[in-house]
Amino acid sequence: MNDVLAAHPVGRLGGTSWMFFSAPAVLPRHGTESLTGILRQDLLAHRQAYGPRPSCAGIGGERLLADLEAVALTGRGGGHFPTAAKWRSLMQAGAGGTVVANGAEGEPGSAKDAVLLQTRPHLVLDALVCAMETVGATEGVLWIHEGAWATARSVTLALSERAAAGLEEPPVRVILAPDRYLSGEGTGIIRTLEGGPTLPRFVTNPARPWSDGHRPVLVNNVETMARIGLVALRGGEAYQQTSLVTVISATHRVVAEVGPDVSVEQAVVAFWTSPDGKYPQAVLVGGYGGSWAAWDGVRSVSIDVAAMRAAGLSLGAGLIGPLPATACGLEESARLVRYLAGQSAKQCGPCVFGLASVSELADDLSAGRLSAAGRRRLTKFMAEISGRGACRHPDGALRMLTSALEVFAPDVAHHRRGRTCDAPAFDVMPLPEVAA
Amino acid sequence: MTPPEAVLRQARAPVDESPDPHLRIDPSLCDGVGICSHLAPDLITVDSWGYPILTPARLTRAGDRRQATAAVAACPKKALYLGH
Repeated sequence: MNDVLAAHPVGRLGGTSWMFFSAPAVLPRHGTESLTGILRQDLLAHRQAYGPRPSCAGIGGERLLADLEAVALTGRGGGHFPTAAKWRSLMQAGAGGTVVANGAEGEPGSAKDAVLLQTRPHLVLDALVCAMETVGATEGVLWIHEGAWATARSVTLALSERAAAGLEEPPVRVILAPDRYLSGEGTGIIRTLEGGPTLPRFVTNPARPWSDGHRPVLVNNVETMARIGLVALRGGEAYQQTSLVTVISATHRVVAEVGPDVSVEQAVVAFWTSPDGKYPQAVLVGGYGGSWAAWDGVRSVSIDVAAMRAAGLSLGAGLIGPLPATACGLEESARLVRYLAGQSAKQCGPCVFGLASVSELADDLSAGRLSAAGRRRLTKFMAEISGRGACRHPDGALRMLTSALEVFAPDVAHHRRGRTCDAPAFDVMPLPEVAA
Repeated sequence: MTPPEAVLRQARAPVDESPDPHLRIDPSLCDGVGICSHLAPDLITVDSWGYPILTPARLTRAGDRRQATAAVAACPKKALYLGH
């Protein structure tokens, strides 16, 4: 088994043709600038590859919507809501709205959206314009983190390339969002556009997340946008059901595109650097608010939205976080819960107080000092918080911790006897160096 | 619209025509003041930090609707409301 991991070259995976990347991008543990250099497709190269952008006004928009339904495109920000249905509910609100391409990748481990905006900015911008034409919007927004300067450089350059080419397009604004986990949350984006703070908001009707008297707003993740761009430029029949993933290693991350026939094991062998030459003991799937899965259960699961769902997991934002055999899953999970609790928008009691209490108890468990009463309190607190935030932030943290208590059950028993594990590998998943 | 489609659409339409509302909350407005749990003890309990946990059931009984209306009216943060 060790030989397999040591000898396998990093390369392409899967039998499908490539939609975005012919080779994976290697990024540092923190930040979004590629270590290997990134081949950016400028407007000329983009047009040579895909041809002119078709008009999506009127009948063109209807055709695009039908194609998006045919390929069953769902949101790649993590929610996997059907894209065409989201567009149709905006269209019911009438014209004159705003379309947002959301590139504020909140997951500290994930970098697929950054790589996409740095390599294929015009695919995203073509899709943004197509979306505006289809739903009758008059304003376009590209929403990215303020610290993502390599991404900002690529998209501002792309916008000036389009202006220089004299493209007749509605205006697209770049908006820089605070570098926080929740800055990419859809309701917070809409709240900002309405003049409020960049914080999630409680919405009574998820199909109409904007306020009465304000412009309707459609928010799509940038990978979703890039896929919309491919469908618009090449038609639904040429579309391949690939996924973009970020695979986390101790010193770096790999962003790669994989076909639906590629298993978690194949991706881990190809894109993960094992610190000890062994397979991981478990994998964090989807994001820090995703789920842990034991290696033996997840290794043969395909990296595909439907296959993951069938396995009781969610591909989420495409994060693949292998946990080395030499690390402690409870220590790692407690660390991630602490980070997520710290990233609370501090608006809802169950998140502000509940998630903080859960985080303290998870720390106690990890440190081998959780009493039987503390264990019962942890179970009670987790049940009390569930589903009670204005956004899904606390639910994500709970989902991850719940899966940790199951997957690492033998470690739970070990830690409850008052022992710590002294695992040689720790701080596996990258977190921002200074938590905001 | 051809008849089969019309039938299909009708079948997909929400069956829920009940006029009975739910008691709902905007948790970002709630400060955990706690008056509501006293005015609507059959519908609202409080969690370990004093924030309300609402019954997920529809308010079918007149007594429940009375309690809910009183709690909604008394909430100083206007976090509670009756919705569907």
